[in-house]
Amino acid sequence: MSLSDLTKPWEAMSYGFLDGSAKRELRRKVLKSVSVPGCQMPYASREVPMARGWGTGGLQVSLTLVRPDMRVKVIDQGADDSVNAASIRRFIARVAGTPTTMDTLEADLIQSRHRIPEEVLREDQILVLQVPNPEPLRPVQPNMSIARQMHADADYGRMWLQLYEQIVRSGRVMQGASYPSLVHGRHVMTPSPIPRWDVPKLHMSKHLTILSAGREKRIFAVPPYTRVEPLVFSDVPYRVEDHGDLICTRSGAKGFFMNEIPQDDGSSSFEVSDSEWGVKTIRARDGEGESRGATWYRDGQFTDTRPGLEPGPLPPHDQEVPGQARDV
Amino acid sequence: MPATLQPSASETRENAAFEALLWALSRPGQVRDLPASGPDPIIEALLDRECRVYAADPLLVPRIMRTGAEIADIGVADHVFLGSAAAPEMLARVAVGSDLYPDEGATVVVAATICEGQPLRLTGPGVDGDIDIRVEGLADGFWKARATRSRYPMGFDLFIQDGARIIGIPRSTHVEVL
Repeated sequence: MSLSDLTKPWEAMSYGFLDGSAKRELRRKVLKSVSVPGCQMPYASREVPMARGWGTGGLQVSLTLVRPDMRVKVIDQGADDSVNAASIRRFIARVAGTPTTMDTLEADLIQSRHRIPEEVLREDQILVLQVPNPEPLRPVQPNMSIARQMHADADYGRMWLQLYEQIVRSGRVMQGASYPSLVHGRHVMTPSPIPRWDVPKLHMSKHLTILSAGREKRIFAVPPYTRVEPLVFSDVPYRVEDHGDLICTRSGAKGFFMNEIPQDDGSSSFEVSDSEWGVKTIRARDGEGESRGATWYRDGQFTDTRPGLEPGPLPPHDQEVPGQARDV
Repeated sequence: MPATLQPSASETRENAAFEALLWALSRPGQVRDLPASGPDPIIEALLDRECRVYAADPLLVPRIMRTGAEIADIGVADHVFLGSAAAPEMLARVAVGSDLYPDEGATVVVAATICEGQPLRLTGPGVDGDIDIRVEGLADGFWKARATRSRYPMGFDLFIQDGARIIGIPRSTHVEVL
């Protein structure tokens, strides 16, 4: 073995920004996290030219996966054109020479914050979710070492208690985002701060989801065809946001997750949160060709009928928990 | 520096190897192609100074040492290359991690012939329903030894390699010998 065997030619900058050892560690940890769905694997989160908490975890996974012919889409709160999404997209394109897209159907790699696209993802697509706080037990157990022990024991009693207390106090589960979900019947994960609307999209999906928290240095994954069941009591069904009746004021799309825009007169208007879905709907309305794919939700109803999760019709809006006051 | 970075030849190989491994592990039983035959692409893509590696084949040792990885006993290794010598008693010593640290379970690479011989039925995450595969050349009692060692989330993750073709069987997969 000579020294030249151990060295590689000098490069001004590693392809995809991350150096070789960072990529190898991420590869090993991604493989482990796929093997144990929903279980948080520690990794040494590297410095990237972006502040921690702005998507560095997802960015590192994207930079590890990326190759020059991979089409990259970046979403921030459902939008492709927000500052954070545009910065990440431009950074990946610059250090990896990849083509970028805003079209969910065209993308090979989708890095997202807060949303899963409304269009159904295919088997060959990878969804990378940025996670600010990966530990679902943190609200009930701030000591991370004890939380790890609770994961090891599959001891989620306090998590259930927290949900129960919300129902007692407010008449319904108040957890709006990061809804704790049981993966493969073993580990409870917090599926990034995606709304409740998006959690059913992870259940038995065709695509691979990798969730990465750069600041907290944890990585976890949901492989394809894996059970992701939101924690619910058998008599209080899981409810997604009541957005089925809302109509987007810009595109006219109905029955999708909406952003609420406050108006001067105190009322509010709505626009579809998945910005590219809105754009496609406007194009279709203007007769510029139909490019929309199938969606998980249709008219506000979840359409997937895989076993294990029967969304069925949503409970009526004014459903009350017996014996409890209705929240206003 | 050019306007856009281009990957080096080794980067392209490593990335392709990782993609094959990731696809294989996230979809157990589906065959993927590595960029080259043998364990070299896996060694190149995954191993470095932070790894402890066991190799049953002494010819593999110099190649592993070139990555900077430490050659270790099978019981403490995080990557185990068993080649075609995957005896059940060796699996009995492979690290399976703990409930606290499931990531300490080893990654095991064995050589076998895919699509011939023993029929197996896989179920679990990554498998849509179930999938039947055939693997020939594994020792008798291999799958029994794997089942004995697996107590989810403890266990080891398996790659079955046939030349440049590979299938992954993570610990979450249930293997039924037909």
